[in-house]
Amino acid sequence: MAAALVVAYTVMAGRTVGFDLSTFWQVWSNPLWEKFWPVPWDWVLDRHNVLDPLVETFQIAIVATLIGCGLALPVAFAMSPLTAPNRVVLVVSRSIMNVVRAVPDLFWAKLLVTAVGIGAFAGSWALSVFSLAVMVKLFSETVDGADPRPLEAARAAGGRHMPVVRTGVLPTVLPEYVAYGLYVFELNIRASVVLGLVGAGGIGRVVEAQRQYFRFDRVLGVLVLVFVVVFVIEQVSVAVRKRLV
Amino acid sequence: MIEFRDVSVTYRGGVRALRNVDLKIDDGEFVVIVGLSGAGKSTLLRAMNGLIPATGGSITVGGTEVVGAGRAELRDVRSRIGMIFQTFNLVHRTSVVNNVLMGRLAGVPAWRSTLGMWPAADREAAMLALERVGIVEKAYVRASNLSGGQQQRVGIARALAQEPSVMLADEPVAALDPVTSRQVMGDLQRINRDLGITTLVNLHYLDLAREFGRRLVGLREGEVVFDGDIDDVTDETFREVYGRAITDDDLKTAEG
Repeated sequence: MAAALVVAYTVMAGRTVGFDLSTFWQVWSNPLWEKFWPVPWDWVLDRHNVLDPLVETFQIAIVATLIGCGLALPVAFAMSPLTAPNRVVLVVSRSIMNVVRAVPDLFWAKLLVTAVGIGAFAGSWALSVFSLAVMVKLFSETVDGADPRPLEAARAAGGRHMPVVRTGVLPTVLPEYVAYGLYVFELNIRASVVLGLVGAGGIGRVVEAQRQYFRFDRVLGVLVLVFVVVFVIEQVSVAVRKRLV
Repeated sequence: MIEFRDVSVTYRGGVRALRNVDLKIDDGEFVVIVGLSGAGKSTLLRAMNGLIPATGGSITVGGTEVVGAGRAELRDVRSRIGMIFQTFNLVHRTSVVNNVLMGRLAGVPAWRSTLGMWPAADREAAMLALERVGIVEKAYVRASNLSGGQQQRVGIARALAQEPSVMLADEPVAALDPVTSRQVMGDLQRINRDLGITTLVNLHYLDLAREFGRRLVGLREGEVVFDGDIDDVTDETFREVYGRAITDDDLKTAEG
């Protein structure tokens, strides 16, 4: 019954947007596809054209990961009932993070490009906000689930709030923190490619520029290069994360 | 001296964990507290260092009032009271000595302990505490790699590192086998005798209570139903505390 409803609705939705199987053929027979070949490797492997912006993307991702994850550590502690110094901090930090999370990262990028101008600087800031949001979401669950018993012991010893959290909770959540940090770095590499499309610097800007000139052969070459870089970074990160947790 | 006057603890939701408790404990005493689970033993200990706030009455520890105390006062009282736990409450993912250093939190500036830059004197105190419980050679081992008995010794060392005048032990041997239980209880007894630290131990097992206690306090449904010398304890006393006769389940040796 439910399945029949889903199928019926899918067919109806397809009709509404003008979708039918013949459109596949239209897409694939478009002469646009011929423009992707052959890839001009000389142009792609030239330092100024692609490699420098690719390094810029890498740097944006590094800066954003460090800023975002650095801020996420105290914020995640402030947001957990287990580790918040008091109720006011708990409620305020939760409300702020809800707002930050509710705004999509592409919108943050647009907003920051408008605010600080086109370039890697805006991209770094947009991605920092994005990293903060993702990291807090992932890491707060770890903090919420931390063992409360060492915390009780540290409190019973008469410690102040900060040292109590530092000695009683941090060591138990640190491996997850580093693992999530590496994961956020992976996300940032991919996201900074996308952010370039809206003017936030890095390799995305090259893709966008070449697309506008209809140089799809160059676009394909850049994307292959990006794929290789992302793949290598992911493999390294996954291997490190496996050892951590 | 520790003094409870008409102390009550009522949890949110209306459960009365302690009812009008009056208790006076002199310096250097070794007191065993018995009672069924839910009788209020844990609450009694935690009310003393304010981990669970008393909702009525007055508790003084060495002259300081705990009920309604401010943050700084509470930290001061807590620093003078060492506590050990049924589940040891160690940080598993760090070294033994880092766990023991938690006992020095009250006396070290917040920025130093936060950055892990413990003063040499505090490191020394931590090692000394480990020496006292005989596991100083495990100082740089990860806490998770120790056996249960060793973990509880680290717990005792952490409490000793506070150089406390009072030691609270909440079911310290409930998670240990009979032989290790006796060793840990022996450690507590020795510390009480050698250092003159007032010691309060929650125990479930009656044979251990008889063997190690001097004074026995019996709790039943949040009320003190027995308070006296361990030698005056009869089967009738236990019937009053437990609401039934003693069975083998109440003896640690019978279990092993």
